[in-house]
Amino acid sequence: MGQGTPGGMGKQGGAGDRKPGDGGDKKDKKFEPPAAPSRVGRKQRKQKGAEAAARLPNVAPLSKCRLRLLKLERVKDYLLMEEEFVAAQERLRPQEDKAEEDRSKVDDLRGTPMSVGSLEEIIDESHAIVSSSVGPEYYVGILSFVDKDQLEPGCSILMHNKVLSVVGILQDEVDPMVSVMKVEKAPLESYADIGGLDAQIQEIKEAVELPLTHPELYEDIGIRPPKGVILYGEPGTGKTLLAKAVANSTSATFLRVVGSELIQKYLGDGPKLVRELFRVADELSPSIVFIDEIDAVGTKRYDAHSGGEREIQRTMLELLNQLDGFDSRGDVKVILATNRIESLDPALLRPGRIDRKIEFPLPDIKTRRRIFQIHTAKMTLADDVNLEEFVMTKDEFSGADIKAICTEAGLLALRERRMKVTHADFKKAKEKVMYKKKEGVPDGLYM
Amino acid sequence: MAPPENPSPAAPAEPSQPPPPAAAAAKGKGKKKDEKKDDDLSEEDLALKEQLELYVVRAQDADPGVQKLALESMRQEIRSATSSMTSVPKPLKFLRPHFGTLKSYFETMPESELKKYMADILSVLALTMSIEGERESLKYRLLGSEGDIGSWGHEYVRNLAGEIAQEFQKRQDDDLPIDALMELVQQIVSFHMKHNAEPEAVDLLMEVEDLDLLVEHVDATNYKRACLYLTSSSNFLPAPDDSLALDIAYTIYMKFGDLASALRTSLKLEKSPQYVKQVYTATDDLLLKKQFSYLIARHGLVMEIDDEIAADDNDKEVLQEIVNNTKLSEGYLTLARDIEVMEPKSPEDIYKVHLIDGRGASSSLDSARQNLAATFVNAFVNAGFGQDKLMTAPSDSSSSGSSGNWLFKNKEHGKASAAASLGMILLWDTDSGLAQLDKYLHSNDTHVVAGALLGIGIVTCGVKSDCDPAFAILMEYIGKDDSNIRIGAILGLGIAYAGSQKEELKMHLSAVLGDSQSPLEVLVFSAIALGLVFVGSCNEEIAQSIIFALMERSEAELAEPIIRLLPVALGLLYLGKQDSVEATAEVSKTFDEKIGKYCDVTLMSLAYAGTGNVLKVQKLLGICSQHLEKGETHQGPAVLGIALIAMAEELGAEMAVRSLERLLQYGEQNIRRAVPLALGILCISNPKVNVMDTLSRLSHDADADVSMAAIISLGLIGAGTNNARIAGMLRNLSSYYYKEAAHLFCVRIAQGLVHLGKGLLTLSPYHSDRFLLSPMALGGLVTVLHACLDMKSTILGKYHYILYIIVLAMQPRMLLTVDEDLKPLSVPVRVGQAVDVVGQAGRPKTITGFQTHSTPVLLAAGERAELATEKYIPLTPVLEGFVILKKNPEYHEE
Repeated sequence: MGQGTPGGMGKQGGAGDRKPGDGGDKKDKKFEPPAAPSRVGRKQRKQKGAEAAARLPNVAPLSKCRLRLLKLERVKDYLLMEEEFVAAQERLRPQEDKAEEDRSKVDDLRGTPMSVGSLEEIIDESHAIVSSSVGPEYYVGILSFVDKDQLEPGCSILMHNKVLSVVGILQDEVDPMVSVMKVEKAPLESYADIGGLDAQIQEIKEAVELPLTHPELYEDIGIRPPKGVILYGEPGTGKTLLAKAVANSTSATFLRVVGSELIQKYLGDGPKLVRELFRVADELSPSIVFIDEIDAVGTKRYDAHSGGEREIQRTMLELLNQLDGFDSRGDVKVILATNRIESLDPALLRPGRIDRKIEFPLPDIKTRRRIFQIHTAKMTLADDVNLEEFVMTKDEFSGADIKAICTEAGLLALRERRMKVTHADFKKAKEKVMYKKKEGVPDGLYM
Repeated sequence: MAPPENPSPAAPAEPSQPPPPAAAAAKGKGKKKDEKKDDDLSEEDLALKEQLELYVVRAQDADPGVQKLALESMRQEIRSATSSMTSVPKPLKFLRPHFGTLKSYFETMPESELKKYMADILSVLALTMSIEGERESLKYRLLGSEGDIGSWGHEYVRNLAGEIAQEFQKRQDDDLPIDALMELVQQIVSFHMKHNAEPEAVDLLMEVEDLDLLVEHVDATNYKRACLYLTSSSNFLPAPDDSLALDIAYTIYMKFGDLASALRTSLKLEKSPQYVKQVYTATDDLLLKKQFSYLIARHGLVMEIDDEIAADDNDKEVLQEIVNNTKLSEGYLTLARDIEVMEPKSPEDIYKVHLIDGRGASSSLDSARQNLAATFVNAFVNAGFGQDKLMTAPSDSSSSGSSGNWLFKNKEHGKASAAASLGMILLWDTDSGLAQLDKYLHSNDTHVVAGALLGIGIVTCGVKSDCDPAFAILMEYIGKDDSNIRIGAILGLGIAYAGSQKEELKMHLSAVLGDSQSPLEVLVFSAIALGLVFVGSCNEEIAQSIIFALMERSEAELAEPIIRLLPVALGLLYLGKQDSVEATAEVSKTFDEKIGKYCDVTLMSLAYAGTGNVLKVQKLLGICSQHLEKGETHQGPAVLGIALIAMAEELGAEMAVRSLERLLQYGEQNIRRAVPLALGILCISNPKVNVMDTLSRLSHDADADVSMAAIISLGLIGAGTNNARIAGMLRNLSSYYYKEAAHLFCVRIAQGLVHLGKGLLTLSPYHSDRFLLSPMALGGLVTVLHACLDMKSTILGKYHYILYIIVLAMQPRMLLTVDEDLKPLSVPVRVGQAVDVVGQAGRPKTITGFQTHSTPVLLAAGERAELATEKYIPLTPVLEGFVILKKNPEYHEE
């Protein structure tokens, strides 16, 4: 039984249990109205996860041993018993009809259409001040079936269309800005599509994947797993590609952001987005947060004069706090990527925030060969093509350059409607790419 | 990577049946061709691969010399391979395709040293190659040279261990010999123990059912970790294995002279007499023996210190004094003085009416009950302090008359409780307790006398004395005509001698049980007293007499609510004794249907209390899921039973809280009524926020019984903690229910419980790092809880003095350090949240978020203390209760 099922049950349970309690509050007393349960109307701590009660207890030793197995089995036994009990109860007392009846009654009371408003203030047990989207504020009643534990000032509520009484709560959803960051479809690139970079792959696996899949390895040796890594290196050396491969291979939630996305129009929105991002990551943990082009927000701090720059710096400060602040992030790993590590703020890179710095060098000959092979694998090459010539060249290629050469060569062949790409195509393509890269300085001018 | 030297300088002998890739590689040319095939290999890898293939070919050479060299180099290659934790070592990867070849060649090899060599290599190769369930690695290992097992690396050993476990199972089934396996097990275990992998060693030994081996392999550096793992596993192991694990832990502790830990383990094992004595006789250190005695006193074990334990009469006396808890009161008062809470508190100080806004200040309704509540609150709050503002204080200033004032503000049976409350206030202080109670014994009012008798019992609760004053006084009254006096005396005896298994009591009380003329209530209380005195003893005779008493009574009498305590008394005899209850449970099935079921469920739940037995929980949940129509009441005890069984360990307790939520959601009224009480016992003296919230919700429930139970439970979970949040909730409840006398009474009781002993006491039956369960404490709690199942006719009726039984569970939650002369000694200690460090590497911190205090200090639930100074050495690893400190000889003042 997975964690999902009991979680679901837990939620039901919570709602179901609460009702009798609320009924008790409303008990028909002759004397004064009963004192309100102390919790209503207060700002609640944000509970972790779906619902704290539904969470299973932590099982203590992380290392693989029999004790852990026994403990997990005990948890499972209890869950099975719960399931058995609930099943028996459901069988004994089919509540469908009654529930249906209740629901329709509630629906009647709610009325249609409902309108959305926000709760300004709770006056007492059954009254509140609400404001609708149109503007004015009203003093209205709260219907008894509304779960008052969840009411808090500022939350969105459903209101009756005529009398505007509170008839329901709209669960506050995750910021839509963050929800688009979640990678739903795994990218197609896998580790196999990366030429070379063996050491880098190994490092990122150790720092990001293994802590999520095998936490016990770290506990065995008695260290805390690294929290995050930064990938840096020349443009086109495969930083983003590697991050894609990580996303492809892991089953953890993968959130990807580009640094520039964190810069928002209004003051305070950027830091808020960062907070939201990490909150969601924590909720959906285990998760990996990938921030590409971190230099957009993470540059060194200096005396900024414009409000915009200050805002960007504040966004970074929030990021610093989220990476290693007061609240510990459990199963959230962070991958940053940048071309210009030297311009980043040193606070961002200190161990504890980013424990590992992984450099992506320009490919050496072996790697170059491998990259050429990857890119030409699907191309029809003429017999005369000798890739070794390009592999052995002294020019500095990045992985992206090699891809560009291959694509360019293919385009040249296409232009002449040939079915095969010849060596000449490659040569021409290489020159073209190198020319572009050196920004107009012809090849060999300064040699 | 250094290119491996060519093993044979002579031309490579032509292999007889060369596998194609090897042939290609042997030529060392055709690089390009190879590249096409293994295009993702770097040059070094390629070289390695060729080299390995060459070895493979040579290993099949006819010449033993060449063979040997090839195998040797192959072995070298595999061993020297450093790999990351993410991938298979390269030599193993490259040898994969040749596994089959080597295997078939191995079969054809003649018996020789070489063959063994080959077997070793095959065994390692099988690590990555062999199909799940084939256990080839093990097979070749057994055929191999039996060399040092660790040289092949950790992963190999781990894999072997896994395969051994499977193989062992199979061989057991097929009745095959296991000697060879066991030899390997020896090797593996010693390897694991040397490499900080105690859990793995223990796991393997458990799999092969030979834990005894562990004793040989542990050494002074790792025995603690191994034992910690064993003891914490024991909570989760099925029936015979758990005590086996504890047994082994005990043996190891004894072996390394960690006697205090050995004593803890032996107490957990419940084979107490001989084991405990062994621990005592294992040392000559009197100080250590004193420390042992403190632990035994806390556990509530009744023990006679004899010549074997201490030869010297003086020593014997000192030890016996500690075991008898004679100094408990003194230590407790030291703590109280240090924390400066000696000032007596009146019930009004607890109610804190001024903090409730608006009303509630003056509610004069049912003042008798109010006064009764005040009596209890006063007794609970000032428990053990020896002074208060209602019962004792006035008598100091003026004559004894005014103390009677409060007494006579109560009516009838209320007076009994008032008189008994004096016993609670003077708790553990036998001398002045008996002196002060004595005057009430001569009262004309039977209730006062009954209360005084009960008070005598309470004063001597847990404190034994050679001259047995309580016994001498109480026995006089046991045969009196007035049933109130009899009850007082009987209950007093039960409380005073709980767990002592005193033979005289069996005789006298059984006589009451057997007497068909004795009134029902006297009968019930003598049964309870017997249950408490003989708690967990499985005493057949008493069980018989209780059963007879149950059978003889008429149906009308069986319908009395108080009768529900008879099965509890029966159950107490078997508390925590598991299957020993079977015979009695069978008999109980023959009872009248109503009481029969109740009895059956109660017996089961008590017999398995504190065991964590999941099967029984399942059974009880099954009972709760039945839909009752005839108004039976046995589901209440079933719910309580779930909590009692699950409280054994924290994981189960947390899961049980979840299960109870389900019961609350689906259950009918009689189940819902018991759920708050079950939550109360699960988290007793441990106010967890989620449980607190649930109870607070239930305290407003529409059903009066549910809400009253929830209120009492709020008191139970906060018992002795002074928890401000619960106190606030209860204050609100007191104004919410200010017109409902019954509810208000419960609120008051709960308030008294929360401030139990002004926050210095705990009700938790678990102690010593939540490792040991004190049966008396649990027995007392269970009795009170069962009484609470029907509050209207017990606590709210005229049997409110049942509440005093809770005194059995009351213990100071202190850490009091004493020097070698047992005088209090103030040292700095760190107190923090306990961390579970089982199976963790290195020397992890055992507490987190600590603060440094100087002793004596209070320890809350889930907290642990450690010394913050090197100057002293504690004589016990668990710093709780009384701890004797010895000067550290290696300490140098700076």
